[in-house]
Amino acid sequence: MPEPLLLGTAGLAAFVALWQVAADRGLINPTILASPSLIAAAFANQWSSGQLPADLGVSLGEFALGFAISVVVGVAVGVAMGLSRTIEYALDPFIWFLYSAPLIAIYPLIVVWMGFGFATVVTVAFLLTVVSIIVNTTAGVQSVDPTLIRAVRAFGGTTRDVVFKVILPASIPLILAGLRIGLGRALIGVVLGEMFGANAGLGFRMTVYAAHLRTADVFVPLVVFIAIGVASTQLVGLAERRLQAWKV
Amino acid sequence: MNRPLVGSISVVLFLAVWQVVGSTNLVRSDLISYPSEVAATLAKMAASGELGSNAVVSLKEFVAGFVPAVAAGIAAGVVLALVRRLRLFFDPLLIAIYQAPIIAFVPILVVWFGVGTQSKIVMVFLSAFFPVMINTMTGVAQVAEPWTRAVRAFGADAFEVVTKAILPGSLPAIMAGIRLGVGRAIVILIAGEMYVSIMGIGRLVQVYSSAARAAEIIVLVVVISAFGFACVSLLRWFEHRLGPWRSELEQ
Repeated sequence: MPEPLLLGTAGLAAFVALWQVAADRGLINPTILASPSLIAAAFANQWSSGQLPADLGVSLGEFALGFAISVVVGVAVGVAMGLSRTIEYALDPFIWFLYSAPLIAIYPLIVVWMGFGFATVVTVAFLLTVVSIIVNTTAGVQSVDPTLIRAVRAFGGTTRDVVFKVILPASIPLILAGLRIGLGRALIGVVLGEMFGANAGLGFRMTVYAAHLRTADVFVPLVVFIAIGVASTQLVGLAERRLQAWKV
Repeated sequence: MNRPLVGSISVVLFLAVWQVVGSTNLVRSDLISYPSEVAATLAKMAASGELGSNAVVSLKEFVAGFVPAVAAGIAAGVVLALVRRLRLFFDPLLIAIYQAPIIAFVPILVVWFGVGTQSKIVMVFLSAFFPVMINTMTGVAQVAEPWTRAVRAFGADAFEVVTKAILPGSLPAIMAGIRLGVGRAIVILIAGEMYVSIMGIGRLVQVYSSAARAAEIIVLVVVISAFGFACVSLLRWFEHRLGPWRSELEQ
């Protein structure tokens, strides 16, 4: 076993073991912080009752849809901004406002516009995600070597050819970096949206458990969120490394 | 084409369309408000002291959580970057927490630290600590080797190595981490106050949202954004001021 893997596993195991022992010895009040074994039991319980799969389905659906819309809109707007200075300058102030504004504060308005539940959560996730994809796509398109575009034009390529055969392939590394940042933000959007503007999903369930001081149950959606965050980020990271290898 | 001109034209155009659509009730103005109403509401909320008294609470929570997070994040980042085994030991845990939506910890933090300012301070601390620490760790790891050797060659001790080589060398990475932390901390603070609190800007958002008051909510969004902008500008200025410390090293 290589050293990083060995030490990393040891670190995780030590953390969980310490937590369990402290709980078993009565050093931690279980109402305040449940032990790992209690959380595992709560996980099994929520899974077999069908509550967890149902909430997970709702959250993953919102996550996937919000992210997918962000990718389509973000890449399209990013390419437009990358190709045209006028469009870039005109949209810039709004992009930076979206990027820095605390979007969660406008969720009450989003609820009024979109209705309580699914559509609101997808909208919050979309608004949080789309900006990082736009910004990175714009940077990617602007980094494309102009001689490549001139070469395609010289051989009679249309704008369509330029976009799909030169610009998009050449800007893929930066677009992927944007997607990686976007994934994290989409997940935050789903949690925020569900905590405040929904009555289903992992984020909503967490607030219900917390209100009833069922701390073991609160940790189950929390752990699932962490797993989704790590897994999706690793997946895009893998795609990035593969494409880099392919480019060289 | 020049950037400020095109940018201002598009913003003015947007505000004009919003004003017309909202004030003539083309779209229900209670849902979208309009700029002149937002401005009037801002003046009213500022004059009544409502905005100021709540902003002070949020600001105190932000500072009380953020300043220790930066100090602890830089210290932990330097230690982890220099002690390889320790870094490998904590790596999976840190990655998991860094990539987790910290916002999901809000309900449990309220259970632990109560509904008042204390839980918000912890939320700010947690959301700022990890970006600062991870960025410091990455930045230090990049400069530690060559620069340390150079400074050591001139007889520097361990303290001097850290303050004269490692910290200035990794300054851009650390500042990037702090900037990232500002954004995350503001979102968490507002979300935490919205979730449950006694006072604060997020509390106001929640109050006005249950009354569906678009103008007040937009005022609050503008105030929070302005605060974020001010923080980032302050950091830029600070980084600029620290320039000489760094360039002393580059010579």
